[in-house]
Amino acid sequence: MNDSMHSEELASETGQVGVVAENGAGVCSVQVCVINDQGLHARPAARLAQEAQKFKSMITLCQADTEVDAKSILDILTLAAGQGSNLELRAEGDDASEALDHLSEMFKNRFR
Amino acid sequence: MAKHILRGIAISVGISIGKAFFLNRSHYRILPRQTLSQAALPHEEARLENAFRDADSELSAIRERMPAELRDHVMIIDSHLMILRDPKLAGKAIGHVKELGINAEWALEKAVAEIEEAFNALDDPYFRERVQDVRLVAERVMAKLAGDTEEMRAIESRVVLMAYDLTPADTVEMETSKIMSFVTVQGGKTSHTGILARSLAIPAVVGVTELEDYVSDGQLVIVDALKGIILVEPSEEELARYSDLKYKFEDYQAQIFRTCHLPGETIDGYRVKVLANIERFEEVTSAIDNGGEGIGLYRTEYSYLNRKTLPTEDELYEEYKDLAAIMSPKRVVLRTLDLGADKFMAHFGTLEEQNPAMGLRAIRFCLRHTDLFRTQMRAILRAATTGNIAIMFPMISSLSEVRQAMHQLRQCVASLRKDGIAHNADLPIGIMIELPSAIMIAEVLAREVDFFSIGTNDLIQYTLGIDRTNRYVSHLYQPLHPSIVRSIKHAVDAAHQAGIEVSLCGEMASDPYCIPILLGMQIDTISLNPQAIPGIKRIIRQTTMEECKSLLRQVLQSTAVSTSNHLVQNRIFQRFPEELTFFSSLLDTEEVPLS
Repeated sequence: MNDSMHSEELASETGQVGVVAENGAGVCSVQVCVINDQGLHARPAARLAQEAQKFKSMITLCQADTEVDAKSILDILTLAAGQGSNLELRAEGDDASEALDHLSEMFKNRFR
Repeated sequence: MAKHILRGIAISVGISIGKAFFLNRSHYRILPRQTLSQAALPHEEARLENAFRDADSELSAIRERMPAELRDHVMIIDSHLMILRDPKLAGKAIGHVKELGINAEWALEKAVAEIEEAFNALDDPYFRERVQDVRLVAERVMAKLAGDTEEMRAIESRVVLMAYDLTPADTVEMETSKIMSFVTVQGGKTSHTGILARSLAIPAVVGVTELEDYVSDGQLVIVDALKGIILVEPSEEELARYSDLKYKFEDYQAQIFRTCHLPGETIDGYRVKVLANIERFEEVTSAIDNGGEGIGLYRTEYSYLNRKTLPTEDELYEEYKDLAAIMSPKRVVLRTLDLGADKFMAHFGTLEEQNPAMGLRAIRFCLRHTDLFRTQMRAILRAATTGNIAIMFPMISSLSEVRQAMHQLRQCVASLRKDGIAHNADLPIGIMIELPSAIMIAEVLAREVDFFSIGTNDLIQYTLGIDRTNRYVSHLYQPLHPSIVRSIKHAVDAAHQAGIEVSLCGEMASDPYCIPILLGMQIDTISLNPQAIPGIKRIIRQTTMEECKSLLRQVLQSTAVSTSNHLVQNRIFQRFPEELTFFSSLLDTEEVPLS
């Protein structure tokens, strides 16, 4: 379940993430990889939701064809994203690209 | 006689007598379910919003009051706060009030049930179990809706707190001055409750499975956290006896604490080092406070359990380094992973073994999973630069196992050198002597290592071939069985002939009845649970090597357990009557009638 179709090229031990891309309609997205040991467990999920809530944009986290609200810890937990999962962060709104920069940085830093 | 006598595990010693107070978090199970008129809905919405807000400020306040040593639990509270603020919970519940026209409790229950459904569908057990956090949070909100009458703050007088289980938030929240002791249905020796109870010096008994069936609010109970017994509605005679015992115990405790920092030295000058066995980092404070002269056994398993992935070398390094730094210059003995049998990592799953106690465990497990073993050893070697660390391999049964373990260790040293990472390759290396095979070849093993540590719990089980958790045979667990006494003596002598030190780290070290004969063998170090250190040191300081040696001679001549037990009990009874009252002993084994 954790393997998205891009897993081969994106799974990276350094937490390298894709570049924020804008599709023209104000929707930005970025590929992220869960590199912290325990995956998106309670503590990182809490951190992620907490930080996402600071932005006005609507932020979603996508895994394969599941989309959840990145501002909801419960939604994030139900993704059950373990270490090595490749996810897409999407944001729509005025501060979208700022939000994605900030949140993808958290993935890179293992939510420390 | 008391109305009921319940048994559990004493995890923090002491005695208390008082009224039972149930922290009854399950009261909301009888939920009021009502449909409401349109006009009543705004009021109901406001009730729910207020309940969420009150629960939030309550939890935030708990977070603020969290003492620094419990900082790990702040993370748990943070995630609970996030759940409390999650639109998926509060939003759904409020939505149900509006759309379905139902009361707040019912709406919240429905919202929780929906979330539960989503979690139940997950394959991964870690994520599936997070639904527990959702329930705990919802219970807090439910309590607010119910008017909060039963919350901790309502506790007026000093009570015996009873609960199914205590969460970290519960224990932080309670005003400990109002709690005389706690008793829970769940929990083990190393649970959060245990550590907290011991650090607050509150008597506690856990694992009382029948608690909820036999005790109700306001009943008078005696908590005997020396023996792990709860007496419900005791008789006059029991009350008098326990009041007296409580007074004497407190007096005795105060006395032994005053002297626990003095060395473990007999009247005639034999010095035995008294160290602490710990399992979790937090226990280091109680090891120091109780007069531990170092950590004789750090059970490193804890950092591996209850998690999905393996800890990294850096994580382990940080943990070991901090431990070494706190104890420095005192010794810290790190036992390498002792998994298998009853302890398993989620990462490996439960092995399908017919007989796990004799299966792939401890050093065998590590020698099979060398990656994991090396990660741990590299962390230990690195941490050994910062303090007085020793490494110890568990469950050695042969010379080749020692050599294989050493080979792995040398490889770690070589790889650290190659990577240019600071490490200390000169740390003392020891092995656990806990199998009959290791006893028989102790002379051979002693030439290979720097120290022995005799693990009597397993040694007794493997030598006598019994499982002490099996009620039909647990009475056969006899530390003074001639085979055990001779085995220990043999290992000690073999170590001394080879010029190495020998320690003993099983429960025998904390048993006042066993201490004199261990001293008689000239054991160099004992390592025991921190709470038992003051009492054991007191015995050591009041005895002489001469009497220990003479007792040992008599015990070694005895051919029957009953004779040995009798000899030892008589001696302690004459010399240390107080210990007889306060300590339970491994020698008091009761045969369970086969019904």
